[in-house]
Amino acid sequence: MKLSSFIILYIFGILSIGCHSYVLDDAQFDLRDSFTAGDYQYSEELLKKFKKKDIYRSKDAVLYNLESGIIYHFSGKYDSSSVFFTAAENEIDENYTKSISRGIGSFLTNDNKLVYDGEPYEDLYLNTFKALNYMHLKDWEAALVETRRMTYKMEQLDIKIKGLAEAFSKSDSTNKAEWKTGDINIQNSALSHYLATVLYAKAGDFDDARIEQEKLNIALREQASISSYNKNRDEDFKHLRDANSYNVLLTGFTGQAPYKVQEDVRLFFDDYDDKKDNEFYLKFSFPVLETHRSNVDYVRAVVNDSLRIPLYLIEEMDKISAEVYKAKQPIIYSRALVRASTKAVGTKLISEIVGKKNEGLGDFLKFLGFISQEATEKADLRAWQTMPGKAWMEVVKLPVGTHTVRLEYMSDRGRTLFFDEFEIKITPNTELELIESIYSN
Amino acid sequence: MKYSLLLTLLVSFLLVGCKPSQKVSRIDPGTTTDLSGKWNDTDARLVAEEMIDDAMSKPWLNQFNRNNQKPPVVIVGRVRNESMEHIDTEVFTKELERSFVNSGEISVVASSQERQEIRDERLDQQTNASYETTKKMAQELGADFMMIGNINSIVDETIDNKTLAVFYTINLEFVNVETNQKVWIGNKKIKKLIERRNYRGTP
Repeated sequence: MKLSSFIILYIFGILSIGCHSYVLDDAQFDLRDSFTAGDYQYSEELLKKFKKKDIYRSKDAVLYNLESGIIYHFSGKYDSSSVFFTAAENEIDENYTKSISRGIGSFLTNDNKLVYDGEPYEDLYLNTFKALNYMHLKDWEAALVETRRMTYKMEQLDIKIKGLAEAFSKSDSTNKAEWKTGDINIQNSALSHYLATVLYAKAGDFDDARIEQEKLNIALREQASISSYNKNRDEDFKHLRDANSYNVLLTGFTGQAPYKVQEDVRLFFDDYDDKKDNEFYLKFSFPVLETHRSNVDYVRAVVNDSLRIPLYLIEEMDKISAEVYKAKQPIIYSRALVRASTKAVGTKLISEIVGKKNEGLGDFLKFLGFISQEATEKADLRAWQTMPGKAWMEVVKLPVGTHTVRLEYMSDRGRTLFFDEFEIKITPNTELELIESIYSN
Repeated sequence: MKYSLLLTLLVSFLLVGCKPSQKVSRIDPGTTTDLSGKWNDTDARLVAEEMIDDAMSKPWLNQFNRNNQKPPVVIVGRVRNESMEHIDTEVFTKELERSFVNSGEISVVASSQERQEIRDERLDQQTNASYETTKKMAQELGADFMMIGNINSIVDETIDNKTLAVFYTINLEFVNVETNQKVWIGNKKIKKLIERRNYRGTP
């Protein structure tokens, strides 16, 4: 009785896992393809279709809202974009409280059971894009609210990360290890600091603008170590503090977010002694991050077909996400190994116990164990697919009148890969016009 | 035994599956409901109640009445949101306007956003309405005081993000439109402590 009940439950368990995570991975890649091709209308339709088919479930809510936020942002639907980003932010906040049932579930199956609660930089960038949304809508007060949220989050991350390093340092009685925060401090987002400097300066908060500009310089110095671009512009960005020296903010996004691919490791142990049942099979899967190599070497703005203004590479968001992933890699790998080992040992023990009473059934359970390891061991490939790879910015002061501004995305040989053209009207009352474009390549 | 186990499983699934996805209850608008720790209707109500009591009871009102023999006229200006949350300040400024008007002791005129629509209507009447019903131009009631203010917030959080303390301070002022003199400053402070649980049983 007990055995047959167990078998029924076991089969039911395997079947209930389903292939949802595989379906979600495919959906994410479809979304990425349509977004990077610039087909935002189709991306919106895809999202609605996926939501209707329950491909994004409650545990994937953060991801769904981040993807929606970006797609609607670049579709020009800034209100809707902010709604999705706000939902993502609230979900990240609520996901602080971990579900015990999901934790147990993930230990028995894989990390796809866990709620996707967002990376620290995702939690930060959503405020950055919300600020850009409000700037497009000319709601400066709301943009400043997002700016304050960005600076607060960065301060909190700074305290947390430096606090942890200091705590480790104090508890290290050997004094042999140097505990530091690492080469890249994701809590210091240059993009967020740049935007904050501009907004505070325009709001007349000069002290806050100065603090943000100083942090911007620190962030750029820290990120220089991971940059693949040759930044030959020696800038300290002090001009951002002078709100009267510019009335247009030029923003370009290039590249793509990194993506994860699954790597499987299969280990089969056998002493080839037929008298003893010492075969042992172990499979564990882990995600490997791949970055997309952008063809864009630099971005420039051409004003009225005459004035050429190079944009400054403010942040390599793809590199930051790769660095954050690198820091988490040991935890992800060791968790996968422990989980896979536990499952393998567990199924082997059960099949051995059963095999002593009924050899055929024991072999069948061993086979079931093999199937379950193959089926349940799957890497968590979830990630924000539509996040841009790099952010470029510059400010400029244009005289009163109507101007044509063309944002050009250039290759390393000076060829224009893509351009976006805008017509803007500058009046004596213009505080700040935002020109924004994206080329996902 | 196996049948009882299967039956238990089936009944459990039915119970979970048949449970309604949400439940709606009507409650008194004055009920305090703190769901997320963020700024909510209770905060707006507390601010409005305290500011109304304070504004109506301070000496500036009697002094104005004595000097001018008429109630003061107030226009609502900009209440700046300098906090970290998107707060609709109109929720409590409208409450103040309502209380002022209904008390009969303070007159309120339309704000700069509101009166533009009225001015457009008045202009339209000059051309399209009958002579008897056309409203005269340049007859607006000038405000004696403008109400301005700001909301600010300070957030403090533990390193493990488990506990969060939020402090709001709301300032409202009446400024004399002619002399720039501030005749009343109201202040309301609200502090909240939000404690997060590490774990929960449900998914």
